[in-house]
Amino acid sequence: MLKRKPAAQVQIDMDKNIARRKIVGATFFMFLGIALFIASNIVDELRVYQGATVAVYVVAISSIILLTGYSGQISLGHGALMAIGAYAAVLSRNYWNFPIPLTFAVAVLAAALFGALLGMAAGRLSGPYLAGTTLALAVGLPSLANQFKILGGEEGLTYDVGFPPLSLGQDFTQYKWFFWIAALAALAITWVIFNILGSRYGRQWRALRSNPTAAALLGVHVARSKVLAFTISSGIAGLAGALMSMTISLVTPSAFPLSLSFAIVTGAVLAGVTLLTGSIVGAVVLVAIPEVTAALATHLGGSEKVTSNLPGLMMSTLLILSVLFFPNGPQLHRRKTRKS
Amino acid sequence: MFALRRTKRGVLASATLAVSALALSAIPAQAFSVHAETGVTATQIKLGITIPLTGSAAPGYSKIPSAMQAYFNYVNDNGGVYGRKISLVVKDDAYLPTLAVAKTNELILKDKVFAVVGALGTANNKAVAKSVNLGRRGIPDLFLNTGYSGFADAKKYPTTFSLFPSYIMEAKIMGQYIKENFAGKKLGLIYQDDDFGTDALVGFKQAGVKFDVSVPYASGSQSAQSAQGWIGKLKAAGAEVVVMFGVTTASGAALATAAAMAYKAQWILGSVGGDATTLKAVGVPAYVLTGAMGASFLPAPTDTTDEYVKFFQGINTKYNGDAVFDNNVLVAMNTAMMTVQALRAGGKNLTHASVMSALENSGSSFASASLSPINYASGVHVGYSGYWFGTYNSAGELKPNGGAYSVYTTDSGAGAIVKSTFKRPALPANGLPTN
Repeated sequence: MLKRKPAAQVQIDMDKNIARRKIVGATFFMFLGIALFIASNIVDELRVYQGATVAVYVVAISSIILLTGYSGQISLGHGALMAIGAYAAVLSRNYWNFPIPLTFAVAVLAAALFGALLGMAAGRLSGPYLAGTTLALAVGLPSLANQFKILGGEEGLTYDVGFPPLSLGQDFTQYKWFFWIAALAALAITWVIFNILGSRYGRQWRALRSNPTAAALLGVHVARSKVLAFTISSGIAGLAGALMSMTISLVTPSAFPLSLSFAIVTGAVLAGVTLLTGSIVGAVVLVAIPEVTAALATHLGGSEKVTSNLPGLMMSTLLILSVLFFPNGPQLHRRKTRKS
Repeated sequence: MFALRRTKRGVLASATLAVSALALSAIPAQAFSVHAETGVTATQIKLGITIPLTGSAAPGYSKIPSAMQAYFNYVNDNGGVYGRKISLVVKDDAYLPTLAVAKTNELILKDKVFAVVGALGTANNKAVAKSVNLGRRGIPDLFLNTGYSGFADAKKYPTTFSLFPSYIMEAKIMGQYIKENFAGKKLGLIYQDDDFGTDALVGFKQAGVKFDVSVPYASGSQSAQSAQGWIGKLKAAGAEVVVMFGVTTASGAALATAAAMAYKAQWILGSVGGDATTLKAVGVPAYVLTGAMGASFLPAPTDTTDEYVKFFQGINTKYNGDAVFDNNVLVAMNTAMMTVQALRAGGKNLTHASVMSALENSGSSFASASLSPINYASGVHVGYSGYWFGTYNSAGELKPNGGAYSVYTTDSGAGAIVKSTFKRPALPANGLPTN
């Protein structure tokens, strides 16, 4: 017969576990931060720029992982939420001259607010209906910018985070500055999500994802929990939007096409949608695909027209293959295979 | 706590992957050479261009890169520029500012081009100037395919050299023409609702022209459907003379829809949207174009009596797969010829600085097909300043009004509009610059 530990002891063990997990996590994030800092000083400017893009995708994919992987809701409209964040950031910068960190906060708040409203509607929908609704958002919302003069139309609005501080030296390039900001934001946000997922909210979401009825029986407020997940996920997407606009110094509808929403979902699926750390893998893959296809097209002697269409094809193929062969993501699949 | 274990190993795997990817990519960094300028070797000069090859604005403009490369190939076959062969890296930006930024980044960081030549679009070039900031990088941004007046600011855009007259100049000259020829008529205007169109509004205001009806359209929104809205407004206002200041696909949509809606007006097409072959290709019937007016700073592409046109037509046959020779091809080859002269003037020891100072010092004497003078000088980075007016005949050829090209020049400010007495330099022997 199994000897049961007293309840108090279980609580202490759990607290120890959580504390250990937090220390491991914090150490890891510090290590990663230092590694990225060193890397940004070694590699050439192209890689630094791509690194900034990877960091932006990490944030965007994390928002999907939180939403889909943990709370079990699907969104094909996160590109639109990114647009909301980006426009909120640029407007607060251009009209009220907010300092840059504050514009990022505005991006998070605006997208979260919109996400909360959307989440309330989403609470009533599930599966393909939710996917359809969010998809409509991704199609329609960015082009709304063309209707309002204040949003700058197709030409967009300039989002200028300024030159890097002179104290960083003459050779400190603009792209390295973008990379630093984006990487720092990505690390910080991943750390925050890491902790949220480890909290009771994270556990509630997981219960919700696995079986909403059972979760409700255990006292989880299903609707509130879902809306909360949608709100937080939207806020993170908003931050990703602001960061992405920073890297191109521009907020315009064309920066948020339908394909962006699909790309981040693809990145999340490739990463293993329930794995937060997979966001890095997903983001690297998303940035690498155009590189690989360009090399491939050059090798095959294709024209620029071929090159610009290949990434979409390759991404779709990867998505289909991944869903067919590794529905839980390649990393998880490998681990399960090893265990069995 | 299954998620914990999963997370830890995932973290390590992902981190290793990310860091090693970054570290691996460090190797090409050492390929930087301190001796020669980026994009220039003993045997090659690498140039780059961003232009719409796909998307709503692509028809017509997508012919530009191959026509430029055709002339470069001709020069390459005849010894290149001081033994260096010119190659052009072409990137499709679909006329979207976001893509223009991404693709220019690729040109600079990945392809490591010596200069960007002929990048197209006002909004695109503005976005690139802000984000990629060629000026701060000291990389020449030559002969843009846009006439936005803002790029004349040599302090803000120190490495940018425009070639086309500004849209303000075009609108001013067009405005004077309208006042002289269509006084008392009801005037209509369709324009692209961005800096390209805003320039036009400034120019028309300078010229003292007031439109009875103005129809703005958002870039990328041009279609037969939206054109019905434009024409509806013009028709309702009873506009008798309509100025079209947009890209070619927008002019095409406007003209074709006007024909379908049986709306008759005297059309005046801006130089950007007035290429006859493209208009025909996007579905404008020849009879609609007949009698419409257009403005240009180059000779008509169908004018075989012009030595430049004749020469470029020969290059087009031999090096460009005998594409339909239209204004796009002519513009592209003319830009390519200007480029070759700029590179030659930059000297054997070619650098970014040498090209730009050569353009300021001797650019105004370059051989070019344009009927307008070239105005490059110290701090003056806008090339042409003049236009002539013509009328399309039933074959779609733009014939100068009055039988001969009469070019008027002006500036982007309050300067007067004067009849040009400019005498164009003769075509260099065999079309090969010797400057």
